[in-house]
Amino acid sequence: MIEFRNVNKTYSTGTEAVHNANFKIEKGEFAFLVGSSGSGKSTLIKMILKEEDPTSGNIIINGKDTTFIKSRRIPYLRRSMGVVFQDFRLLPDKTVYENVAFAMYIVRATPKHIRRQVPMVLSLVGLSGKAKMYPNELSGGEQQRVALARALVNNPSMLIADEPTGNLDPDTAWEIMNLLNSINLRGTTVVVATHAKDIVDKMKKRVIQIDKGIIVRDDKKGGYDSEL
Amino acid sequence: MNYNILSYLIGEGFKNVFRNKKSTFAALIIMFATMITVGIGLAGARNVTSMVKQLEEEVPVTVYINDGLSTSEQQEVEDYIKSIESVNKVEYTSKAEALKEAKEKLAENAELLSQYSENNHPFPASYTITLTDINKSQDVVNAINSVEDIKEKIKEIKTPDTVISGLNRIDRGIKFLFFGIGALLIVVSIVIIGNTIKLAVHARRREISIMKYVGATNNFIRAPFIVEGVVIGVLATAISILLLGVLYHLAYNKFNGMLITNIGFGMLQFGDIFQITMLVYIVLGVGIGVLGSVFSMKKYLKV
Repeated sequence: MIEFRNVNKTYSTGTEAVHNANFKIEKGEFAFLVGSSGSGKSTLIKMILKEEDPTSGNIIINGKDTTFIKSRRIPYLRRSMGVVFQDFRLLPDKTVYENVAFAMYIVRATPKHIRRQVPMVLSLVGLSGKAKMYPNELSGGEQQRVALARALVNNPSMLIADEPTGNLDPDTAWEIMNLLNSINLRGTTVVVATHAKDIVDKMKKRVIQIDKGIIVRDDKKGGYDSEL
Repeated sequence: MNYNILSYLIGEGFKNVFRNKKSTFAALIIMFATMITVGIGLAGARNVTSMVKQLEEEVPVTVYINDGLSTSEQQEVEDYIKSIESVNKVEYTSKAEALKEAKEKLAENAELLSQYSENNHPFPASYTITLTDINKSQDVVNAINSVEDIKEKIKEIKTPDTVISGLNRIDRGIKFLFFGIGALLIVVSIVIIGNTIKLAVHARRREISIMKYVGATNNFIRAPFIVEGVVIGVLATAISILLLGVLYHLAYNKFNGMLITNIGFGMLQFGDIFQITMLVYIVLGVGIGVLGSVFSMKKYLKV
């Protein structure tokens, strides 16, 4: 599903963000990507999203090497992955419903399909009653649920979450993590970059740890830190 | 692409036009200035071109002969001219008649010529030659100049070419001036339209970045902004063609009569230049709009 082969990334400023990364996340897996700020975590996510290109090495998504993909094809690659961010990134002048429908609009879904699909994902994330509200009328947790609904509405095969609980209180963070887990149980591959230590420790999922650009650990059922 | 998507893209484009009223206004003004400049140049050039055409049809070759030629010498020249191929008709204007014509041309200022007598004045006798084919005028001139005996009896040959090349110089001057300024203004317009679009894009960069993450193609993201540029272009076209029409009518009323009495040819009607102007305007308006938006969006489509 997502495979990194000898991936290096050095930014034009000379910073070496990732050094010789090798890992493979299988279809249907749930993986945490952990590491302190500046560890190279975000660069890994950006390379998966094809926002940044690796300096060397290969990244294989869904069996396809994306290293030399034409920029024209990137939108179609991105349609196979849903993304959520720490800051939710919702459109403030659109309702919850419109924010989610927007993602279907731009992949040119039919109006009929949109009318059926949007209420379905909204109920999946538990926001059925709030479709007509605006983002500023929602709590942080609810806003992140909208972002999740938007990420999922086009049925991507994987979900990439970059610090999804970074702006949320612990209880809400757990709700979101449980939601991510149930999404994973429906068959979607889930990759979560985080430094929420307690959550990672308790969930006992695969943990890929990166430190100073180097992947220092890859545990099948790990905690945030383990005695190396 | 279904109907909904199309109306969405166009609707967004129109929204942008009114969202940034100030910069839209600035873009409109500069495009308008560009179009009026190009329009005036176009109208001027069209008129000169039409005059050149009329002149070619009406102005014959005129051969001025030296003073003091004997009757037989004159006859010799006339016979020779008549023998040249593509000469249709030859009409003689005597020296006396030349003075009379000059006086007629000056009308109320004719007393300026009162010091001249019928036999002592600077206007030479001439042959006015009508050709069977206007393009052969140079051949006739060459034929006259090729015979030394005839050439020495001739003072000057005036062909449509000399008149027309004068007009052509004016034509080139107009084109150079107005289209030069026009080209400069086109570049400025593209930059300013680009800036307007950039503001619209900047205001919506968040939306654009979300669109990119959800997998929108560049064309999909670009479309509303191109619509915005085109809408501004079409608006500018409409205003410009209206104002050019008004300006042209004013100029027509002022100069047409003057031109007819002085050179014998009037101006074209606005209707005669409307089509070409409209075509140029639409191409300019849409072209500047599209180019401006495409250039200004480059940076934002990178992610």
